Amino acid sequence: MRTKRRYGWHRYINIITVATTLTVLFVALPILWMIISSFKGPSSINTNVILPDPWSTANYHTAFVQYDFGKAIATSLIVTICSTALVLGIGTLAGYGLGRMPMRGKFPIMVAMLMISVFPSIAVVAPLFLIMRTIGWLNSYQALILPYTAFNLPFAIWILRNYFLGIPKEMEETGRIDGASPLRTVWSIVLPQATPGLFTAGIFCFTACWTEFLLALSFNPTLRTIPVQLSTVGTIYEAPFGIIFAASCVAMIPIVILVLVFRKSVVSGLTAGAVKG
Amino acid sequence: MAVTSIPPVTAPPTGPAPPGEPLIVGRPDAFRRRLARLGWEFTAPALFVVGIVTIFPIVFSVVMSLTHVTLSVSGFHIGSFTWGNYSLILKSSTWQYALGFTVVYTVITVIVELFLGTCIALVLERLVRGRGVMMALLLIPWSLITVISAELWAYIYDPSFGIADRLLHGLGLGSPTILGSNVSAIIAMMIADIWKTTPFVAIIVLAGLMMIPQDVYEAAEVDGANSWTTFWRITFPLLRPTIALAVLFRVLQAFNLFDLPYVLTSGGPGHATTSLAILGHQVMFTDLSFGPGAAIATSTALLVVVGCFMFLRVFRAQVGKEEL
Repeated sequence: MRTKRRYGWHRYINIITVATTLTVLFVALPILWMIISSFKGPSSINTNVILPDPWSTANYHTAFVQYDFGKAIATSLIVTICSTALVLGIGTLAGYGLGRMPMRGKFPIMVAMLMISVFPSIAVVAPLFLIMRTIGWLNSYQALILPYTAFNLPFAIWILRNYFLGIPKEMEETGRIDGASPLRTVWSIVLPQATPGLFTAGIFCFTACWTEFLLALSFNPTLRTIPVQLSTVGTIYEAPFGIIFAASCVAMIPIVILVLVFRKSVVSGLTAGAVKG
Repeated sequence: MAVTSIPPVTAPPTGPAPPGEPLIVGRPDAFRRRLARLGWEFTAPALFVVGIVTIFPIVFSVVMSLTHVTLSVSGFHIGSFTWGNYSLILKSSTWQYALGFTVVYTVITVIVELFLGTCIALVLERLVRGRGVMMALLLIPWSLITVISAELWAYIYDPSFGIADRLLHGLGLGSPTILGSNVSAIIAMMIADIWKTTPFVAIIVLAGLMMIPQDVYEAAEVDGANSWTTFWRITFPLLRPTIALAVLFRVLQAFNLFDLPYVLTSGGPGHATTSLAILGHQVMFTDLSFGPGAAIATSTALLVVVGCFMFLRVFRAQVGKEEL
């Protein structure tokens, strides 16, 4: 802690407290509003009352029984988990290759990866749509798993490569002397040292897949993920907000738990660019 | 580097082999080549997946944007070469508006988010307790599905029962239809965006603040600098790479601006909140004009890449080479 607030410590603490409270309100109020509104029954959702009267779980029931949100959550889970697993598997191998092997052309590959990760997905949605329509992949799990894997690989490779660069070479050499195959060396010697990197890459991939909208909307209009299902219930004139919020609250749970548990990994991922460039 | 990757079994790493004895074990070149091949084998799956999903479609998109594309029931047909798609969008006032809107929207939201995010980070840095809890809280909007936040703000802005309407009424500002007129719809969308993204900026800036060594501040204090001078002369310059990074992230995201207007305003009223991504999507998937749509998509991607390069140039010149 710095010591410069020796003058007027009390005054400072007040400003800090007030500002912190404001921040909490700014961030939390809209989310609280959503959670509260998800308990408003049909009689109070489309009114301007603050608290539900009476508190009702009817929206949760309707969302999962009538509006297929259970199926949407299952679809999102399948797509997200498969993509994350693929990203971590392929990304580990590539990160190790690019980080530790004396390959030529590493630099162009890394630059190309970086450029691809900044590409707006609107640029590839049309051609991918046409290709997927031609090979009959529209409304399938793989229609999302494949592009999600590709779009999240560059960041994962970048993060994992940075971790691999920090592992002492001697450890791999020990494995090599003991006669371990290269894959075996990666699996049992290198990977355990890079678990923080795996967490970071994994949580970013998971969040990105869970929240992705444009590709899911374009490729899978009937095999809907949560964001697509949320955007398609209701009409342009009237949205069933109570049901949407009930489903949203449920859809928030897995990601909020993951982000809170792996908070440190998320923060280190957000700042990875700042530290390592 | 080369020496350390030779396994220790290749015993005398330096010095010539004994005369007359053929060098069997220690062949660094062959070993290196084997490792390099292994490296390519390890990298190949990633290159393959990324290649078929991004590079191939990007090339395809450029081709589509330069030809007459026609869509049929079973597939699509690529016709003859034309510049027509580009001249069509360049002349279209809708495209010009979408470009201007995306740029202005990006600039304003990024400035506000940076200001608020830096303020929040400076406050949290001084927190004695509860910083972890605050970080956790700030991560929730970041991890929220954008569609959810858009629906939430649509509910808040609703003309008949939205809480914002009630607030404005309570403040004596009447009951404007927030999403019904151009300027207020744009401001409303910016507020929704700022709410969701400021926490993200705050976390990046906070992490940057925590990397600044404490002795710099102690030195400043010894020199009798007040907190205002300390911020502008020490904190801000040292924070510049972090801020630059946050700006880069945000600008890239902003050119992808799609989810929020799609759900909140559908690009309206009229075309008021039609971003480049919304326009591209409409032209391709509603009008089924894949040629002009591809031209919009390709030009957006080109803008992003060029912007990125220019940004990195400036950024690199400012902070020196060690950052990139």
